[in-house]
Formats: sequence, structure tokens, C-alpha cells
Amino acid sequence: MSTPELSLGSIDVITPEHYQQNGYPHAQWTYLRKHKPVFHVEQPRTDPFWAITKAADIMEISKQPKLWLNGPRLAVFVLSPGEEALPPEALPLKHLLNMDPPQHGQYRSLLSRYFTPRSVRALEPEVSRITTTVLDDVMGRTECDFVTEISSKVPVAVIAEMLGVPRQDWPTLFRWTNEIIGGGDPEFQRGENPTETFAQARMEMFQYFTNLVAERQKHPANDVTSILANAKVDGAALPTLELLSYLLVLVVAGNETTRNATTGGLLAMIENPSQFQRLKSDPGIIKTAVEEIVRWTSPVIQFARTATQDTVVRGQKIKAGESVCLFYPSANRDEEVFDEPFRFDIGRNPNPHLGFGIGEHFCLGSNLARLELEVIFRELAKRLDRAELAGPVARLRSSFVGGIKHMPIRYKLGPSHD
Amino acid sequence: MKIVIDLKLCEGNERCVAAAPEVFEVHDDQSHLRIENPPSALMEKIRLAIRMCPRQAISLSDR
Ligand code: HEM
Ligand code: SF4
Repeated sequence: MSTPELSLGSIDVITPEHYQQNGYPHAQWTYLRKHKPVFHVEQPRTDPFWAITKAADIMEISKQPKLWLNGPRLAVFVLSPGEEALPPEALPLKHLLNMDPPQHGQYRSLLSRYFTPRSVRALEPEVSRITTTVLDDVMGRTECDFVTEISSKVPVAVIAEMLGVPRQDWPTLFRWTNEIIGGGDPEFQRGENPTETFAQARMEMFQYFTNLVAERQKHPANDVTSILANAKVDGAALPTLELLSYLLVLVVAGNETTRNATTGGLLAMIENPSQFQRLKSDPGIIKTAVEEIVRWTSPVIQFARTATQDTVVRGQKIKAGESVCLFYPSANRDEEVFDEPFRFDIGRNPNPHLGFGIGEHFCLGSNLARLELEVIFRELAKRLDRAELAGPVARLRSSFVGGIKHMPIRYKLGPSHD
Repeated sequence: MKIVIDLKLCEGNERCVAAAPEVFEVHDDQSHLRIENPPSALMEKIRLAIRMCPRQAISLSDR
């Protein structure tokens, strides 16, 4: 990124178009960490917020879920030019990410045991099968779009499998997730603007899951949809909105994120060939490699919290009702936490990154994401003889979940060894 | 110094075990202490475990 001269007056870490054009604003985050780690932002097209860029402050805020709520403002969303803000009740969603204690814990504990390292380990054969199929599909060729043909295919298949979504519906599920997360990007837009795109996809997905839930209430199967469809909170079945929102978040949360970690991970390997060689010659390094990929790519850019009472962060007074924006990619380059934070080192250990967040809302799917990344990069290390960019990468227009929507590569891929 | 694990927060993510296998073990999806009063030689690893625990379920107490 070219940032000739930085000053607080020129900082902009939230305009989605900038992410599309330049990628993550690491130079600006680095400047903020050094000069103004709790920085008040007022910009058009969004409400004011405090930008939090130090790892220690994100940890401190995240572990006080009663002082800092998720409900009032989930993340900092920026309207498209000309788009009007809708009142939240226009498109209701009620899920883990926008629930607060005590309700949040009740809902989270319904599923947490299905996402432990032990539970997700059981999915490994299936994840391997899915990954092998996806790679086999592009084997005979020398060029492909790594995103649309590889990295986006695995996460949606894995979560669809966990939810018990029949295989013929996977492509539709895939489209909805693109629209819900990437609705701010013209490529995925349907209708007039991001809000309309989101509303449409949300409605169709709710309709779809209403049917699947009814089916699983009659005939429970061994899948997560059956568990939620038949679960109880405070002695009663989940209300429809909570149940459908839970399913929607499971589908959406794990897709774009894992896809971008995969794409960004391969891009980092292409840019640091010695690290890819290291992974090839030392497969045992995969676990630290996956952590480093998540730190390096930090696919979730930010979530927000809103103060329930007047408080102080790093000496800065923050009033009740004001919100903070937690910039995870910045925490993951914090020079107070990491030696040489701008070096991609697949052996980095310990690696206390915050790519999955921390505390009350810590990523429920982290162990699943880790498993997927492990399998994908294990297979790529085995089968990919070489890979280089075959054209420029295209980035998503979003300052919420960042990433790459197209990455043309030229490659040589060998057969599966199993 | 006593180590306290808040079992209401712990979800068996096993990061503590990775950081300090001498001190923590996970069974039934929950972290358990292998030793109550760890020697000071292990303090550094325990501090790492506290930092690495994604649910921030581990703390130190004087009592
Ligand atoms: C590399 C991939 C992923 C990244 C970087 C990621 C990142 C995150 C982050 C930063 C949070 C918020 C944490 C906080 O507020 O402290 C989160 C929450 C969440 N993630 Fe992930 N995630 C990934 C994959 C997944 C997958 C595969 C699933 C599938 C189930 C998933 C499901 C969730 C859910 C349900 C929450 C909400 C948890 C809560 O509010 O209690 N994520 N994730
Ligand atoms: S790291 Fe934390 S949440 Fe995970 S098992 Fe250990 S104490 Fe429990």
C-alpha cells in the first residue's frame, strides 16, 4: 500500500471501497497502534465509533460481555452511496453474534460440544473426501480461479454436510452466502442495493430452512439441524426467528471466512516460496502453519461492541451508548505481541493471534475452520508442484469480512496419493 | 498461587493443553488441572495458557 504521509486527519480504515482497491490498511493500523490506539472516527455513511487497534485492548473489551454488548451494533457497517439505513426491526435476525448474556450462553451451549477439537476430528474423512474431489476437478488443467473453483468450494460443502443439507442444494446455499456477506460488492448484488440483496437472500434461506427443520422435527437425523430443530431453551423449543437465524449464521459465518483464509494463505505461500517449500518438506508443521495463515489473513476485519455504562479504555473515556470497533487484523500485527509481525512464518509458536476473536463470542467454528485449513494445505503441499499468479487478484468491497473474490493462478497439480 | 478454571466458560478447546501440558488436560470437553499448586518453573507456561485460552476461562488466584 502506498501511504506517502500519514496523519490522524488522513486516516480512513472503514470505507469499503478502499479495501477493494488497496486491501487491508495495515500502514494506517500500524500508525494508529503507535499514535492513537483508541481513535474516534466520524465519517459519512456510518455512525461514529472508536477504532480499537491494540490486541490487549481487544482482549480486555471482549472479556467483559456485560459491560460491552454485541446486540446494539454488531459491526460497523458502511452504507453504499445513496443507500438509506433501514431500522433493524425491518430485517430481524437473532443469533449468537448479536445476543448478549445471559441468553447468549444458553444458545451457545446448545451446540458448543459439536465444535470441540474432538468432535470435529470425526469429520476429517469427509473433509478430505470433499477436498480431494475439488482438487481432482481442476487437475488436468494449468490455470484456474483459485477462489471460485477451489477455496470457496470446501467450506460450504463441509457446513452443508454438518447441517444435513442434501447435496443437490449446495450450489443454492453457496449463492445465498455470497449474497449475504458480499452484498456490498456489485458482483454479488441482486436488486437495487446491498440491503435488498441481503433481504432477498435471507428470505429465501429462511424459507429453505423452515422446510428442512419441519422435516427434521418429524424424522430427526444425525445432523446439527436436527439438534437445533428439537432443542429446548428454558424448557421451550426455540422460537422460529432464533432457530432460523442460528442456522443462517452457521452457514454464513464459516464460508467467506474460511475461503478467504485459504485464498490468502495460498497467496502468502506464492509470495513466500520458501515457506511453501518448508511445508512440503515438513508436513508435521501443518498445525502452526494453519495458525499463521489465520493470523496473516485475518479474514474477519471487525466486530463492534457498545458500552452499557461510562468506562475507560487505555485512558480514553468512553460514554455509555458509544461503540468500539475491534480491528482483528491490526491486533494480529501488534508489535507488542508478535516478533516481526510482518513476517509470514509458518513455524511461529506461540501464536496468540485474535483471528477467531476471544472471550464470550470466540469463534464457535474455530476448530472446524482449523480442520478444513489443515486438510486443504496438507493436500496442496502434497499435490501442488508449483503455483503462480496468472493475473491480478480481485478484492471484495467490504470492510467487515475482507478478502479476495478472484485469484487466477497458473499451476501444476499432481494426482491424489491415497 | 492457585489456578482457577471457570468451567462455565471452558469449552474444551485444548489451547491450554498445548501451552502447558504439564498443568492442564482435557477430558469430557472440559479442562482439568493435573496439579493444584504448580512449581514456579511452570509459571511462564501457565501465563501463556491464560493468554491462549480463547474463552479466557483460566485465572490465577492468591487464595
Ligand atoms: C478461518 C475461518 C474463520 C474465522 C477467521 C472466523 C472468525 C470469527 C470471529 C472473529 C468471530 C467473532 C469472535 C468474537 O467476537 O470474539 C467469530 C464468531 C463466530 N464464528 Fe467464526 N470464523 C471462522 C470460521 C468459522 C466457521 C467454519 C464456523 C462454522 C460453524 C464459524 C462460526 C462462528 C459462529 C457461530 C460465531 C459466533 C459465536 C458467538 O457469537 O458466540 N466460524 N468467528
Ligand atoms: S483453553 Fe480454555 S477453553 Fe480451552 S480447554 Fe483450556 S481452559 Fe478450556
